[in-house]
Amino acid sequence: MVPGGVIPAPPPRVGVRPVYDSADTGSPVLGQLRELWELRRLLRIVVARDVIVRYKRSLLGVWWTLLNPLLTVAVMWAVLSGIFHARSLGVPYIVYLLSGVLLINFFQQGVIAAGWSMAGSSGVISKVHVPPALFALSAVLAAGVTLIVSVGLLLVMMLATGVGMQPSALLVPVPLLALAMLGTGCGLLLAAAAVRVHDVIDFTQVALQLLAFVTPTFYLLSSVSEPMRTAVQFNPLTQILLLFRGLLWGSGLPPWWTWAASAGSGAVALGLGTVVLARTWRASAAML
Amino acid sequence: MIEPAIEVSDLALAYRLMRNRPGTIAELAINALRRQVRYERLWALDGVSFSVAPGELLAVVGPNGAGKSTLLRVLARVLPPGRGRVIVRGHVSPIIELGAGFNTELTGLENAVLYGALLGHDPRWLQRHGDAIAAYAGLEGFMDVPIRAYSSGMIGRLAFAVATLGTPDVLLIDEVLAVGDEEFRTRSAARIDELIGGGTAVVLVTHGMEVARSRGDRVLWLDHGRPVALGEPDHVVDAYVRSVSDPAVVAR
Repeated sequence: MVPGGVIPAPPPRVGVRPVYDSADTGSPVLGQLRELWELRRLLRIVVARDVIVRYKRSLLGVWWTLLNPLLTVAVMWAVLSGIFHARSLGVPYIVYLLSGVLLINFFQQGVIAAGWSMAGSSGVISKVHVPPALFALSAVLAAGVTLIVSVGLLLVMMLATGVGMQPSALLVPVPLLALAMLGTGCGLLLAAAAVRVHDVIDFTQVALQLLAFVTPTFYLLSSVSEPMRTAVQFNPLTQILLLFRGLLWGSGLPPWWTWAASAGSGAVALGLGTVVLARTWRASAAML
Repeated sequence: MIEPAIEVSDLALAYRLMRNRPGTIAELAINALRRQVRYERLWALDGVSFSVAPGELLAVVGPNGAGKSTLLRVLARVLPPGRGRVIVRGHVSPIIELGAGFNTELTGLENAVLYGALLGHDPRWLQRHGDAIAAYAGLEGFMDVPIRAYSSGMIGRLAFAVATLGTPDVLLIDEVLAVGDEEFRTRSAARIDELIGGGTAVVLVTHGMEVARSRGDRVLWLDHGRPVALGEPDHVVDAYVRSVSDPAVVAR
């Protein structure tokens, strides 16, 4: 086969014709946000890449997305269901467990994947100019695909076990969005640090495991005695989880501070992560 | 007068290397107590100045470790300059270490779309024109195969096809002409000529003296990060070739 032919000229590239001036003293944060916006179409492709690569050589493929939380919950349920009684929870224990495990799993996976994303994509980053947040963002979004699928699974399980659905369940995207913001923010922070020292990822892995115990995934908040209960309440994941469960099967809307704590912690984390990564990036680039 | 596509003035960049690099925190602490933590600055680039006009090809020559690839990375905005100033006007297509940014688990088409989109092209357009890209790169029938099955020449063809889409304002090439067979070399050279005719500014890093001589409008000779000579291709290449046979020439 003789190679040849002519590729037609593509439409102009995105964005205004760039002028790179290394002496430009503009804000790195604003500059990178603008670049991210210009490359938003790319984000979908990178997320798809992350999902495809993750499951490319597996037989079950994306079904692992469902199997992973199901197996976790099944084991926890088998071990713990004797200890916790359904009447105090308001829903079957398996539903209660799954709701907690989903959120925690997403947070753990998203943050760790974002932390590795820079090192993992250093082949691209050291050859083509891209806003550094791109790969961390896409790692969290890829974990978000898993989250959305497993929330669907939770809803099915709620209907199957006769829990039913409150009208307030329509507001469930609010805690999920807050969680995504929190995860992205922490992921960006971890990525910024991990470029310099890989150890922070191992440390974070341990910290995230411990954090899961300080979140009422498998127990009731009210069954924890003080002063531990206060500690659990100060965990932003707890507030997001309480909001999530309250909307799904609580009686009446959750109190205002649960909303405020969820949205607030998400916004603060996201803002902090964006600024820290953008400001440290120039100095980190040479270390990749 | 036309504005240059690339302006570099007094560019310097140092990699910081740690002497007695400690393996663990304990060693680092001991070294710190003994005041043995020393950083050594390795000047990968030092005092480099030049400009490239639209439609001009600048060839960069020099021994390994001269800073040629570092220079391309600075121009590609991957590395920030440590000192000096760099201005690059327009869209840049870097071909640095052919296909090193490719993911071996993804297919040829998936990689082409990803790489093209990273350069700012429309992913949907790339997807639609996958066949044309395959034909151009001589990869018909291979676009749905993960590129871990590709040879380095095949990866090179694909990367070149995507990087030279449209008419980039600036094309940065690191040894692309060295991979691939005779046919690919001839055709990629023709494509580069076409781009130059369309106003693309090209920076070409090469170890091929004939390439530098025949293709370069000007040649920049780097050694240990410092510019040794910049100018007329025959003049600079001759001087460089002489220095290789007689190292005393560079030792200034």
